[in-house]
Amino acid sequence: MFSNLFHPLHGSSWYIAILGCFALAGILIAILQSLPHALRRPLIRIVTFLGGLYYAVEYFWPTHSMPIPGSPKHMGNFLTPFISPAANMLSVIAGWTIGLGTINLCQIHGKRLLHAKEGKLNSLVFFIAMIAMFTLAVLKQAHPNLINKNLYMLLFEGLYQALDSTMFALVAFFLVSASYRAFRVRTGEATLLMVIAMVVMLGQIALGQQLTIHLPDHGFWHNFRVEIIRDWILTKASSASVRAIAFGIGIGNLAVALRVWLGLERGAFFDS
Amino acid sequence: MEHASPLVRIMVPLFSTCIVVMIQTARWKQIKIRRIHGLTAIEEAIGRATEMGRPMVCTTGLGTARAGIEIVTLQALSIITYIVRSSAKFATKAVLPVFDPQMLPVTQEAVREAYNLEGRPDLYNTEDIRFLTNNQFSYAAAVAGLIWREKAGATFMFGNYYAESLIIAESGNQVGAIQIAGTPATMQIPFFIATCDYVIIGDEFYAASAYLSKEPTALGSLVGQDIAKGLLLIIVILGSAAITFSQMAGSSLGKTILDLFS
Repeated sequence: MFSNLFHPLHGSSWYIAILGCFALAGILIAILQSLPHALRRPLIRIVTFLGGLYYAVEYFWPTHSMPIPGSPKHMGNFLTPFISPAANMLSVIAGWTIGLGTINLCQIHGKRLLHAKEGKLNSLVFFIAMIAMFTLAVLKQAHPNLINKNLYMLLFEGLYQALDSTMFALVAFFLVSASYRAFRVRTGEATLLMVIAMVVMLGQIALGQQLTIHLPDHGFWHNFRVEIIRDWILTKASSASVRAIAFGIGIGNLAVALRVWLGLERGAFFDS
Repeated sequence: MEHASPLVRIMVPLFSTCIVVMIQTARWKQIKIRRIHGLTAIEEAIGRATEMGRPMVCTTGLGTARAGIEIVTLQALSIITYIVRSSAKFATKAVLPVFDPQMLPVTQEAVREAYNLEGRPDLYNTEDIRFLTNNQFSYAAAVAGLIWREKAGATFMFGNYYAESLIIAESGNQVGAIQIAGTPATMQIPFFIATCDYVIIGDEFYAASAYLSKEPTALGSLVGQDIAKGLLLIIVILGSAAITFSQMAGSSLGKTILDLFS
């Protein structure tokens, strides 16, 4: 049933399905908006509980062999076939929220432009960039000729991705200023941090490893080679604490998930 | 699809029972938790921003847009909600840049509710909760720009962060904001330690809402988490000892235990 529901449509049926979806979504939103506040919370809790229950039962229910095309060893249970339609539904909801985000951006920048507030030029750039990118993306799909493709590539790869990489590159410069502050020897902890960082950094580079290369390849003194000390710090001292943190985080995630799923959360989000 | 192993089928319900039982217990029994410096400093940071007459910038991190709203992001929003409630007492402006568009309506509703609870619905401004972008470095650039333009007096960074953590935190540092961060992303903790005034490490992140609200549900949940961690610690010690001694004795028990846990 679900595989037929999500079967790709073509031609006029595709347009009818899209319009039908919009109409259905509009009706649903209107119904939800008209609900009294007192009813909204139980509704959210019921939907959250049912959604969580489905994923929990699917995860814990015993599995058996359930071969699918491309994966003959696939395991699953009676709920597994519904995972993909459920994921599609989540993608659709996520798609709708992109629209919400865009409306929010247009509201903020539109008001700033209309009232000629500070930063109006930035808002103007936002609208120009958004309209240009949107128009060219649609044109590239609708009329994929060389001009449209090149214009799109110019904006996407030539500008957007270049700016993205520039921001990433900034991390290197920020690292230097942050490291300088962190490694200033002010307290005992800062000194310890600096010494350990120095050992790890020396162990990572060939020049650092050259410092202790004269130490033997085996035996007691081998342990004092800078790369061995580095490995010990990274795989023993550091990973032990990281794993301890990971245990705590895992259980913390479980606790928050349980509180949200079972509607036990109090004093946060929308619950007074 | 991944499914639960036999051990997970035992351990997750066991830990869940500990947490739910303690939540119920906390509703009639008073529970106290230790002082956490990073969280105590939240009041100080709000106070500083108020004195300077500057706004606060609060971010809930990136989460993972592909997987929908994450538990980590919800927990971060829970902490930020308490910060907004505290700041409402002094009418200090809080700006919340949002990364995931799915989080936008959730954040708007949570902040509106926070102001309502403090009796200051007039402080709610839709422009203060802004969806910026769902691209990692565009978000970093936008938040850094926001911190600079608004001259943030305090920045709060809770949630999941990746390489953008340093760009955001360093920008806050450069404008002289008091900075508090908390993340379960262990790779980003060193960057926050280098740039922030206070950092909430690891599972302290999950203790934050209990510590700030003193709400019995959150306090009970925290005690339940500690009991679960205690059980986990016992399992780790017993497992390590069993494997070590079985290897010394040449028994196959160690392999059986490893198979059970893998």
